[in-house]
Amino acid sequence: MLIQQATSGDADAFGKLYDMYVDRVYRHLYYRVGNNADAEDLTQQVFLKAWQAIDRYKKTASPFVAWLMTISHNLVVDFYRTKKNKTYLEANDTVDDSTLSPEQVTEARFEQQQLRRVILQLPGEQQQVVLLRFIEGFEFKEIASLLGKSEGAIRVMLHRALARLRQILEKERERH
Amino acid sequence: MKKLEEILAQCIDDVMAGRSSIKDCLAKYPAISKQLEPLLRIALSIQKPPDVKPSPAFKVRARVQLMEQIHAKQGITKQRWFRYTRQTKPILYKTRFNMVATIIAIVLAISALGGGTVYASRDSLPGDFLYPVKLGTEQSRLVLATSDTAKAELYLTFANSRIEETAALVKKGKPEKISIAINRYDGAIAMVIQRIDASSEGQDLAEMSEVVALATSKHLDVLDGVWDTVPKEAKDAIAQAREVSIDGYGNALLLLAGENPEKAMEINLATMEGRLNRAKAKADKNDSEGVEIASDEFARLSGSGEEIPDVAMGSGSDSYIAELLVAKRTSHHLEALAQVYGNVPEKTKEAVEQAMTSSVRGYERAVESLKKKGALGDLSEEPPIPEGIPDKVKARLLKPEGSTVEEP
Repeated sequence: MLIQQATSGDADAFGKLYDMYVDRVYRHLYYRVGNNADAEDLTQQVFLKAWQAIDRYKKTASPFVAWLMTISHNLVVDFYRTKKNKTYLEANDTVDDSTLSPEQVTEARFEQQQLRRVILQLPGEQQQVVLLRFIEGFEFKEIASLLGKSEGAIRVMLHRALARLRQILEKERERH
Repeated sequence: MKKLEEILAQCIDDVMAGRSSIKDCLAKYPAISKQLEPLLRIALSIQKPPDVKPSPAFKVRARVQLMEQIHAKQGITKQRWFRYTRQTKPILYKTRFNMVATIIAIVLAISALGGGTVYASRDSLPGDFLYPVKLGTEQSRLVLATSDTAKAELYLTFANSRIEETAALVKKGKPEKISIAINRYDGAIAMVIQRIDASSEGQDLAEMSEVVALATSKHLDVLDGVWDTVPKEAKDAIAQAREVSIDGYGNALLLLAGENPEKAMEINLATMEGRLNRAKAKADKNDSEGVEIASDEFARLSGSGEEIPDVAMGSGSDSYIAELLVAKRTSHHLEALAQVYGNVPEKTKEAVEQAMTSSVRGYERAVESLKKKGALGDLSEEPPIPEGIPDKVKARLLKPEGSTVEEP
């Protein structure tokens, strides 16, 4: 209902959608750019772009938040393209597991940082599929609808992405 | 035989959903377990990131900016869909949304900023450090308003604040910041009209549209004072604000006309007379530009007045008294305009004549309608053109609408 209202041009309804999803969009962007200032800046841009393109959302069957993630992805791609000297920053990840010793926490944190860095090196759509499936928790069906591909194509992409991740991680481990 | 990617995806789904373990999956597909295991382990080692959240202050600030950008792009002129028909307006649903999360977020934001900060921001102006806090506080009030009428009232309060800020900026010698307040004024007025139109018809609609028509009329008066004192480079922003006021006023007036045409006409005549007084004062000061602006605004308001009977009839209301009011006041308007006409240089006379033409057309339409209703009474069918108007001007004024008069 709220989305219907927003697509009819109701700015208040869109404001409510902002309230519902701003945390999630920010978290996603923070994961990808690794710092607060850029994550905030991109979060604002995502919602403005979403409002400007809201007519196009009507035509997709995927969840609204998934659509926001696609906009986020495109903006992040532009962000890194226009700021070529930007490196993938280390996000301030924390590993919250009270059963782990401080050493184990440090190691787990290192592994997550490494994994994140490697995920962010994947090519565009592979990266998007990994992030949407594992970081955002969308089903294959939803990802397929969002990217305009078949579920089979998404599974193939995921397989290739994981194989690539494995390859990069192995190379990194060999180097250390 | 299933393909590797299908098995991989199935195993990921099953393990993530707790239906299976990695070990179970590998046991189920022994032929490909060596290929499957490393991929599965990588996939399942990808953890959701920690629940980092943006600061409450950022969320409020970003929301304010987002809404302002949206409203600035929509602008008041895009809101005129209801001018001629209510059927083309956007569908605005009235279902209440569960706003608990929103309210908590806003309350947290305000708490994070501190009550003292919020209080101190009340008198802040565009460009001040605390101005975003003031705007954020306004947004939090909006979230708590549950009805369209309550929202309309709040947006009107914000519009009033923007006008006050505009005047204060001029007094403080900061005209370069005026456009910030004016753009937000535009957005607030657009939202006022949208909310009123979304509110239920009847008492609420009549009361709110009357309040808005009176408020925007008052805004014009305040903007007159600002216009007179503002430096030249800031006049464009004030002109924009006047446009917004007049459009917002016209829209509120027509909404009111559907509920109470008599009241709508009374307000419009008073506002028109405000413009006449302004034109007279400006003519006395030899301010040609001022006369032209006031005359042009008079003509536009006169045009809005002409629409009132049509809207009233469309809503099933009787427009008789509204028409009578126009007919009775026209002689007064024309006399005042004739006085201005005689006081201004040649280049300004055209604008004044245009205002007289609008007034005459309004009279003719009112008289025609009254005549059809058999309610003309002692009113003359001939428009009351005052003495002293040059014959050629009189001829143009009395020519039927759409026809041309040959110059001698």
